[in-house]
Amino acid sequence: MRKPLRLALLALPVAALAILTAGCGSKSSSGSSNNNGSSGASSAGGYTGTYENGSAEKGGTYTVGWEQSFGFTDNFDPTGEYLGNAWGILDNLLVRPLIGYKHAAGADGNELIGDLATAVPTPTDNGLTYTYKLRSGIKFGPPVNRVITSKDVAYALDRLADAKNGGQYGFYYSVIKGWDAAGKNGSHVSGIDTPDNNTLVIHLTKPTGDFNRRMSMPATAPIPSNVGDCFKGKPGAYGRNVISSGPYMIAGSTGSFTSCSALKPFSGYAGDNGNHLTLVRNPNYDQSTDSYRKNYPDKFAFVVNSNADDIYNKVQAGQYDDEQSSPQPKTIRQYVTDPNLKKRLLVNGGDRTWYITMNLTQPPFDDIAVRKAMNYIIDKQALRKAWGGPVVAAIGTHIAPPAMYNNGLAEYDPYATPNFSGDLAKAQAEMKKSKYSNGTGTCSASACKGVLMVADTRAVDNRMIPVIQADAKKIGITFTVRSINGAYTTIQTTNKNVPISERPGWGKDYADPYTFFGELFDSRALIPSGNTNYSLVGITPQINTEKKLGVKGNLNNVPSVNNLIDNCQTKLGDARLTCWENLDKHLMTQVVPWVPYLFANVATILGPRVTNWSYDQFSDTTAYSQVAVKQA
Amino acid sequence: MTNPPEFQVTSGGAVALQQPISVARKSPSRLFWERLRQDKAALAGGVVIVVLVLIAIFGGPIAKQVTGHGPNQTFDSMTDAYGVPYGPNASFWFGADSAGRDLFVRTMYGARTSLFVGVVASGLALFIGLVVGMVAGFFGGWIDTLLSRSADVLLAVPQILIAVGVVAACSSSKSGCDLKLFHLQPGLPVVIAVITVFSWSYIARIVRGYTLSLREKEFVEAARSLGAGNIRILATEIFPNLVGPLIVYATLLIPTNILFEAALSYLGLGVPATTPSWGAILNDASGLYDVAWWLMLFPGAFLIITTLAFNLLGDGLRDAFDVRSDR
Repeated sequence: MRKPLRLALLALPVAALAILTAGCGSKSSSGSSNNNGSSGASSAGGYTGTYENGSAEKGGTYTVGWEQSFGFTDNFDPTGEYLGNAWGILDNLLVRPLIGYKHAAGADGNELIGDLATAVPTPTDNGLTYTYKLRSGIKFGPPVNRVITSKDVAYALDRLADAKNGGQYGFYYSVIKGWDAAGKNGSHVSGIDTPDNNTLVIHLTKPTGDFNRRMSMPATAPIPSNVGDCFKGKPGAYGRNVISSGPYMIAGSTGSFTSCSALKPFSGYAGDNGNHLTLVRNPNYDQSTDSYRKNYPDKFAFVVNSNADDIYNKVQAGQYDDEQSSPQPKTIRQYVTDPNLKKRLLVNGGDRTWYITMNLTQPPFDDIAVRKAMNYIIDKQALRKAWGGPVVAAIGTHIAPPAMYNNGLAEYDPYATPNFSGDLAKAQAEMKKSKYSNGTGTCSASACKGVLMVADTRAVDNRMIPVIQADAKKIGITFTVRSINGAYTTIQTTNKNVPISERPGWGKDYADPYTFFGELFDSRALIPSGNTNYSLVGITPQINTEKKLGVKGNLNNVPSVNNLIDNCQTKLGDARLTCWENLDKHLMTQVVPWVPYLFANVATILGPRVTNWSYDQFSDTTAYSQVAVKQA
Repeated sequence: MTNPPEFQVTSGGAVALQQPISVARKSPSRLFWERLRQDKAALAGGVVIVVLVLIAIFGGPIAKQVTGHGPNQTFDSMTDAYGVPYGPNASFWFGADSAGRDLFVRTMYGARTSLFVGVVASGLALFIGLVVGMVAGFFGGWIDTLLSRSADVLLAVPQILIAVGVVAACSSSKSGCDLKLFHLQPGLPVVIAVITVFSWSYIARIVRGYTLSLREKEFVEAARSLGAGNIRILATEIFPNLVGPLIVYATLLIPTNILFEAALSYLGLGVPATTPSWGAILNDASGLYDVAWWLMLFPGAFLIITTLAFNLLGDGLRDAFDVRSDR
């Protein structure tokens, strides 16, 4: 008996695997069909915006499945939290900065409104002074339970200025007088005045056209000093005790504040590594002070789930109402092609660009002709397919998405190719101008062989790499690919001298193009690690030495755009947008640091219980303040 | 109970001594082979392994020649508008992967990667484990304590966690890791190094146990009494007696390490994305298995067949080496 059994062992598992996989496959036969897969729900510009599926009623619980982990950058502490999805929760539900948004989709969602402030102020003193008047009567939630004053906003800004508290975007506020000095010694920022409890005056060192937008970010929302002081010098610790100034609060925020030692983490943000976040209504919230938040559900439950398939199954079954995950191509196809599901797939512009970055100091990308040739040869359609097709993104053709320019540059494509699929002739024509090509149209120099490309290990990276390799090979560039789990760390370290990477993407912090150009191309912002100017635009030998960047490469004649950025920063209104548009064009034609290939969409899949939903353009996620669910 | 044939009992009870039947003298290797060849499963496993080795050497290039598809060549027509791959057809026998590459060609090339990693990593682990185990078991004392505890420490280390760190650290540059003693290139060398580091301690433990027993045997004492030194005893008396068990463990270790490579690749820590390996293909299948069954079936089948073949052969070899086994 033993031997035949062992022989059979060779065949049985294979047969079992075949039956198992065939069984799985039988759920959907379209995988091998000749489905052409029309783009369905969306193409560029055809965004969903809102969703209605019945009348909105108060009550119920809105449950969101969150993939892997919350991924908070500072444990949900508003002072340091830099995750867009966290901003969506904070600004919609939990805190009220002076300036806010309508929590709507598209251009409407980028329009500024007074939130804690009564109105959006116009700067005085030649653009150097901003005076904010606070709405009266808005109170903190439990356990603080008192009226919010201008001193609470000043305290939040002081907390942000002090680096020991973990602020991650304090650089936006360094234009406030005394900001840097206060950051060093932990004192009050001298450029912030509170003449009375309802007035906050901020003095700047130079005109900054987007300053009101900077006052919309969650770190500027009021924090009561008695609670904030409990977490002084403890980055992230306040995240489990965020005191509400909005319509909801973290569950477990009860009683009255007596002392730091008596203050325990609120039970609503709990579990191992904080795997669930529950928000309930703030009893001190006054709806009459707020024109834009609807606040239908009684409760919000954000639940971490490590299995993306399970999240979408639960959304489809109505166990979850929403998701913070990335739908796989198969899921998108299912929702686009199934008429019953299609209306629950909502696609909106994500104000994010995905791009291939090229290091201007590393051969062969130290030659602009090579960089231009790369822009012509890359098949952007194939890369978009690797991401899941037109639902996932529009084709990217320049630096900042058109929405950042109020739909300006929508048709701008300096490296246009048929169907965005690459153009060998144009690429070769550029390559002929290169010092690396010998006028042949392909790169013949050794600098083009085995060029280091740092990639990540996500499934989408594995799908993109062969496309990029095959395209570049047509003009004589071959890559040595290093796939690293968490590739950002490597490409953000300047002395790694990474010539090219397909990993980067960049999304706005707020709806002004400065949040692209200031962080990505200003050589004054170069730092040795955590650097986001991957292309090293504007680097000089002097900067390399002074900032100890450790770059080894061709540092001479790297173009700089610092002056152009400074010029745009002084402008307001339409002139400001036009200035940024021109800088975008300049970068794409005179500097060419990237091959931009996608302007990302945000695809959201809703459960059947959802009756009302809207997209929040500011945080590029669900406008939680606008959603409603059917009662159980 | 019957008597041996040369002793036949007569009806009167007397024992008649007849002419003895000549029995051909059999060498240990012949005895081994006779026992092994009765084990059809082990032989089948051996044949499968030979076929897999041939596939590893010739399969990729032949598949490329036959289909006209390179292992990293992408075919836009083999994925739908959403990037979901199409299944097997006349040109793509195993279907396509999520990048639109020919899965048949990649599976054939994947055999090379998986077997290479399995065999080389196992070979290195065997060598290290053999040396450490023999030295520890033979010399005993503080040397044994030092080496054995070192092996124990490695057994206690979370392998995947360390693997993540090493692979990440050595993959962040074109040149890899400078470990002073040698330079560790990213890609296959890192994967092999990681697997070797976490495999040798098992072998060392086993070899140490055998050596502890063998060093007390009479033939070792005899060699020592004849003036043989430690190195000579280890080389000529101990080592030959370890060959049998080592071969058996090698056949069991190889599939384990192939699966380890598959696990690393599944986590995105294995071979580079452009190098086909069965584990990497299975990783690709993880998000698509319910709509692209072929991604799991073909590399999964090869992985199972390979693992089983090595295990069956190892099982058979163990039985054949072990004269006390019941056959």
